[in-house]
Formats: sequence, structure tokens, C-alpha cells
Amino acid sequence: MNETPCRDVPLAEWTAALTAARGEGFDFFDWLTAVDETDAEENPGFDLVCHLMNSSTGRGSLARVLMRTRVPNGQSAPSATGLWSGAAWHERETYEMFGIGFEGFDDGTGLGLRPLLLPNGFEGTPLRKSFVLAARASKAWPGSKEPGEGAGEGGQPHTEKPGRRKITAPGVPDITWGPR
Amino acid sequence: MRVELPMPRVGPVNDDAPRPIKVVLNWGRRYSLWVFNFGLACCAIEFIAASMARHDFIRLGVIPFAPGPRQADLMVVSGTVSDKMAPAIRRLYDQMPEPKYVISFGSCANSGGPYWDSYCVTKGVDQLIPVDVYVPGCPPRPEALLQGIIRLQEKIASETLSTKSIRAKYAGSRRAAAGEVTRPLLVKPEVTGRETGGELS
Repeated sequence: MNETPCRDVPLAEWTAALTAARGEGFDFFDWLTAVDETDAEENPGFDLVCHLMNSSTGRGSLARVLMRTRVPNGQSAPSATGLWSGAAWHERETYEMFGIGFEGFDDGTGLGLRPLLLPNGFEGTPLRKSFVLAARASKAWPGSKEPGEGAGEGGQPHTEKPGRRKITAPGVPDITWGPR
Repeated sequence: MRVELPMPRVGPVNDDAPRPIKVVLNWGRRYSLWVFNFGLACCAIEFIAASMARHDFIRLGVIPFAPGPRQADLMVVSGTVSDKMAPAIRRLYDQMPEPKYVISFGSCANSGGPYWDSYCVTKGVDQLIPVDVYVPGCPPRPEALLQGIIRLQEKIASETLSTKSIRAKYAGSRRAAAGEVTRPLLVKPEVTGRETGGELS
């Protein structure tokens, strides 16, 4: 399995690059999403990634390409809904999960960008690394970690000794986080 | 159109029946549980396995499957409950006639399970609806569900079913009676704007 070729383009040329790829035959829009790279050393922001396929290359061996651009935090990207109407759901999902706006978004309803999957009234952009999983601070892991251990009495959030600072995954609140 | 229904009653026969009659009535109820499968994830597969020939919970009197919540006595919530799904679960629970029972099947429905810290997963279905029996496991084996059903039947057998006790049981959790959770008949949507892409039939 070969690695999918990836084309990095500047944000300003995003629409032009997608149009060009479509002109080359990559006419099937597979998916679009983002990657949080706000902690990158240089040019921090969000990687906007779009996966395209060439539907005329025959069954089982569709040629594919990844389009990628870097969107600085707070900026919006040009919408791909003018090229593929099906991009609307993906852009709405990227909007609600990462908080990236899309200029010129049009899904035919005139309602603009709005949440797609999150429950009504949800605040925040949960797939950003800065999004804190509040449940970790408010509710202890409800089970036992090993078979045979008793479940924590009323929940024991931090049983291990406070040692050196552990490297935790993004979104995991540290001990000082949350209401005391 | 809203249907006005009175508060549910079990009738004077059940209210004032002598104890042997109540035992017989409870015996009848515990072995004819129409089950409504709220399958949301992989636990639903184990639930379906429990309903099929090998494990066969019909021999315990659990009848698969009620056509909808309005015909069901027992709801088995099997799978990961997300916050987006929560209103639907509450609504279908409200549509069930009383007395009604809920089995929470699997870790996700019990407490959120492996997704307990997720931004979108409800930390246990008991935050939405009252649960009678919890079946632990990820996913639990079909035998575990059979054990849970037997526990529920023991619970039903020891109940005293009267109008007063039913009202007391659902006093804290009743948001709406089944007759209130209705919506008007569906009508064909009007096609507006945009190209319709062929005839809609």
C-alpha cells in the first residue's frame, strides 16, 4: 500500500488548488477535516486536509490525493462547497469541532455554518487540543483498573503518589484544573 | 391533536385484591415482558444474541420485540448513550405505559464505560431515566443479560402493584405521560427552492 501523495498549498491558493485537482480528474470528494497543529514550532494553526479520488482510474485502484493547507488560528478558510456540494457536511463538522470558519459556505439552505453533530447548546470546539475534558475533573473513572481490584470507594481520582509531572494527552486536565 | 388521558390506574381488582391474587397477577406480569431494544452500539449485538435460539430469552417470558415503545414493558438500553441521543431516549421512555422497567446493559449505558471522559457521551443512562437493573460488562455476555432479566423478574414478583404504589414509583421521574408525548400525523413536505433532481414519489 503506497502512501497517499500529499500536496501542501498556501491558504490563499486553496480553492485554486482544489479546482486544479478536480481538473486533473480527482473529481470524487471523499472527506475534509482538520488537524490541530497549534503547538507546532513554526507557522502554528490548523491543517485543513481534503481527500480526493479519481473516479475514472478503474475499480479497486482509485488514484487518490491529499490536499493540505495551514489555517492560522482565528482565520477562516475558503469553502469548497462551490466545487463539491457534498463538502457542506464536512465543513459544518470541521466548523463545530475545530472552530474553523468557511467563507462562501453554501449548502443550499441559506442557513450558513451551523452545528451538525453536537447536541443543542453545546459550547466549545471539542477536537481542539485546548478543549478540556471536564468529565475527567468532575467524575472519577467509575471502574477498577485491574481485575480483582475493588471499585474505588466513591471514586478515587488520583491514587498514585504525586511524583514527577507526567506527560498527559491533550485535553486531560491537570490536578489544579477545575472548581475546588 | 392532543389526547387527554387520566392518570394511570391499575383498577380496583388489583388495588384491593388479597395477597394470593396479587402473587398470581405479578406472576403473570413477570413472565410476559414485551421488550423494546434500544440498541446503540456493540452491546445490542449481544442483546440480539440473547434473543436468538442459543440463549433464547423467550423461555424466560421476554418477548422480542415490541413494535414500539407504546407496546413495551421493558426497555433494554444497550450501548453508548450520547448527549445528542439523550432526548430521544427520554421521549421513548415517556411513551412506554406504566409500569415500565429499564435494564441498563453494558458499561457504556451504566456509566459511560470507556468513553466516560468524552465530550459527547452521557455518563450513564440513569442520568436520564430510572434504571431497575444494571448489567456490567464490555460487552456483557448474553448469559449476563439472562441473569439481569431474572433479577428484574424477582423484583417484579416482590412488587405490590397498586395505583398508589405506581404513582409513588414514578413520582420523581415522570416528566410526561404517554398520551402527551405525541406528535401530529406526518404530512408530505413541500418541495421548495433548488432543483429537485427528478420526480419525488
